[in-house]
Amino acid sequence: MTAAEFASLGAVSYNLIKDMEKILLIEDEELIIRLLSKKLAAIGYDVSLAMDGREGLEKIKQIVPDLILLDIVMPRMGGFEVMAEMKKDEKIANIPVIIISNSGQPLELEKAKELGAADWLVKTEFDPKEVAEKIQKYINKN
Amino acid sequence: MRERELSELSEMKARLEEANSVLEIRINAKTKALRELAANLEKEMKERTEELRRKVAESENSRVALMNMLEDMEDLRRRAEEEREKTMAIIANFSDGLMFFDARDRLALVNPRVEDYFCIDKAESKNMIGSRISDIVRFAPMSLLGEIFTGPLEHVSRRELSLNEKTIFEVSVLEVAGRAGKIGTLLIIHDISREKMVEKMKTEFVSIAAHQLRTPISAIKWTLRMILDGDLGPINDEQREFLDKTYKSNERMINLINDLLNVTRIEEGRQVYDPVVADIEEIVRSLVANYEDMARQKNLNLSFEKIAAVVPAVRIDLEKIKLVVSNLVENALKYTPAGGRISVALGEEDGNAMVEVVDTGIGIPAEQQDRIFTKYFRSANAIKAETEGTGLGLFIAKNIVEAHGGKIRFVSEPGRATKFSFVLPPAESD
Repeated sequence: MTAAEFASLGAVSYNLIKDMEKILLIEDEELIIRLLSKKLAAIGYDVSLAMDGREGLEKIKQIVPDLILLDIVMPRMGGFEVMAEMKKDEKIANIPVIIISNSGQPLELEKAKELGAADWLVKTEFDPKEVAEKIQKYINKN
Repeated sequence: MRERELSELSEMKARLEEANSVLEIRINAKTKALRELAANLEKEMKERTEELRRKVAESENSRVALMNMLEDMEDLRRRAEEEREKTMAIIANFSDGLMFFDARDRLALVNPRVEDYFCIDKAESKNMIGSRISDIVRFAPMSLLGEIFTGPLEHVSRRELSLNEKTIFEVSVLEVAGRAGKIGTLLIIHDISREKMVEKMKTEFVSIAAHQLRTPISAIKWTLRMILDGDLGPINDEQREFLDKTYKSNERMINLINDLLNVTRIEEGRQVYDPVVADIEEIVRSLVANYEDMARQKNLNLSFEKIAAVVPAVRIDLEKIKLVVSNLVENALKYTPAGGRISVALGEEDGNAMVEVVDTGIGIPAEQQDRIFTKYFRSANAIKAETEGTGLGLFIAKNIVEAHGGKIRFVSEPGRATKFSFVLPPAESD
């Protein structure tokens, strides 16, 4: 996604200030992308976007974000696959990943834990503000 | 001389004649006697003959009677044989596998369906005759039954056994009693693979549908939340009011979908627990606090009390036990008229942790009490009091409590009060 496209989605800034914390949002649903990126940009994060897993993985390697918000069910490459691929590259292997998913089945949670996810948020149980709070918790840790 | 001679002769003649007549008389007498004798004999003969004839006739009758009896017996025997054949044909062609054990718990009969189910041949099934179940399960093809029968044959009601992923049996054991008491035990093996498959498809459908529903619903939730939080610009009070109501409706829908998913997970056996040793007091206390606003709005007095000095620590899946307590408290809030009281208490019972929720609500009708934990069931007065509800809350609560090795129960006085309580076993110290 280009900066212009990104701006058209309603985000505020794009990597203008050097020391802003970089967050990569990998999610295929446009409405969620617009809402979340607006919220996070308003707080002051540098938000990058990817709309499927493959694009996401490329962006991770390219940007090396401070934190990744990752959906599970996506076209081309799913979230679990992205995490498995991240493990193979030590430059990006330890970036905290918060899963944002519509599902939260125990088996999936287990798998996410095995793959090293920092947290798991079920979208229906959280709202953008609470997602932002979670992000703060993990970014401060780092 | 002549004269004398003549006289002598005539005298002699007279004597002879006399003698002759005497003889004649005697002969006549004898003849008569003989005749009488002969007549008597003949009569007796006749009588004897008659008697003999009668006896012969009688014996003929008995013979015929005997023959008839024998024929009847034969008929009965044939009919019994036919009945037996019919019964055997029914047993042989019965759609379920049947194994009949005699009064001494030894296998007396196996039908061919059992051979099909366990892939054994006639000879192998014949070999099992006379064995006890404990020996039969040692025979490799039959070892699946060993999952149920670890000891002697005992009553079993609809236990499920999976032969493989596609084949699932349901096993029941019934005592068979005749007029004289127990005559044996019948083991019934019913193939429920098809039902299971349909059930699985249904569960998967609900699961997929619910997940699909969550996607747009979470988008709605997030949008409304951000508008309400002012992230997308200012809104006026009327807009806020409408959006707030819409947000709450959406939250209700989320809960409904979560209930459906919880049920399908229970049914799929996927209710994986993540148990941790926890302080249940803290959990219940904070949950009750969450409902204080709602109680105030409904003009209900909601309280929490710890009624035991020490409550044992429990090993629980936090989210799931929270769901149980929430379901019980929410029910109490829903079904207690304004001005009523809801008391939540935490205590101890026989070494277990015990949570109870007592309300002064509408209660559960006596005739519907035995169905209260049934999936989708809602009592008549509950539907009247509150049209919304899935009838899943108590079903889910019961399943969760039982999956923790606990028990849930209730007492209810319709129109006055209801008490639900559940116990959880103490955490084993490791």
